Amino acid sequence: MPDSKHNRTGPPSDPAPTDLRKERENLLHSFSRGTRLTEEVVNEHERLVSRVAELERDNAVLRAKVEADDAIRELLAKIERLEHEKQELLSHVQEVEANSSQFSERFQQVECEFSNLANLFVASNQLHASLSPRGVMRRIKEVLAQLVGAEAYVIYFANPEGTELVPIAAEGVSGDALVNQPIRTSRIGQVHQSGDASIDEEGDPSRGTLGNPPAILPLSVDDRIIGVIAIFSTLAQKNRFTTLDYELFTLLRRQAAAALVSASLFTAAERRIPGLEAFMDLSV
Amino acid sequence: MAEYSCLIVEDSPMMRQLLVFALARVKNLRVTEADDGVDGLRKLASARYDIIVTDINMPIMDGLKLVKRVRSDPFHKDTPIVIITTEGSQEDRQRALQLGANAYITKPIQAPQVIATVKELLKIT
Repeated sequence: MPDSKHNRTGPPSDPAPTDLRKERENLLHSFSRGTRLTEEVVNEHERLVSRVAELERDNAVLRAKVEADDAIRELLAKIERLEHEKQELLSHVQEVEANSSQFSERFQQVECEFSNLANLFVASNQLHASLSPRGVMRRIKEVLAQLVGAEAYVIYFANPEGTELVPIAAEGVSGDALVNQPIRTSRIGQVHQSGDASIDEEGDPSRGTLGNPPAILPLSVDDRIIGVIAIFSTLAQKNRFTTLDYELFTLLRRQAAAALVSASLFTAAERRIPGLEAFMDLSV
Repeated sequence: MAEYSCLIVEDSPMMRQLLVFALARVKNLRVTEADDGVDGLRKLASARYDIIVTDINMPIMDGLKLVKRVRSDPFHKDTPIVIITTEGSQEDRQRALQLGANAYITKPIQAPQVIATVKELLKIT
């Protein structure tokens, strides 16, 4: 049986009824609206995809920034640690420098002490290196000239009456100035009387004069004052007495006269060494 | 380590002893003593020295004459010479230096100054 619905070839159909047309228009309208909605949805989807991509990019940037901030924080912490270490090292360096400076200062002090002790040892050693009065006197003069730097000086001994000091040796003083000094009335004699040295601690000893000697030293033997050394002036470059000079003055006071007296007695005894009996029973 | 030799020319036994004491503080320095200029020249003729320390005022031959003689000696013409004297004026200093001395120390001497001068001339650190 032929399909009458699909093989219709008869005359043109009658115009569609109005409600069908309306329905078609409605359908078209709905379809068009659907198309529009679909387009809108597609556009919205694309927009959203784009926005997501944008947000992901922002997110990546933010993440990178946070990571960079962390790195900066780490770097800052590291800088702080290094600064701390630097301060510790600087403080250590300062400590070492201070110690080094103290050590250097102490070393110089020790060297100076050594030098002074060497001078005292040499002076003492030389004073007792001779057993002739002339030899002892030459050495006393050397101590005064070479170690103290005395330019003009006189060594006096008291006369047997104890009234005057008699010059027994001199250097840098003219003959007419070598006169006896009365013990009671002269300044030099007063030092003999009191037993106390007179030393000008403030003035320049190179500018001393015969009337104003910068140093007068008593000479003692066994606590008895037997003479005096008067230093009238020192070398031009010696413009003050030092600690070493005071030590040398003490040494001369205690040992010069003793060495001189011993040498004189030894010479008077015709340089005979006492017999063994002289040294017996000496132990305490 | 290098060893150095020093000749001390000084007529005063006290000063010689003091100089020997001071220079004993310089490591590897061997010290020889001479009583005066003539004795000094005799010792210079028999051995070579790296430095000479001499007094000016001495009997027989003074330090300045010794400096002149040393400077004309081919073996020691360049040897450093330190003059030690009581003279403190600038003219004396100039005179000694013009004759060929390398350094000048005035009495009374200070051991640290002698040590420093000798070390400097021998370039010992």
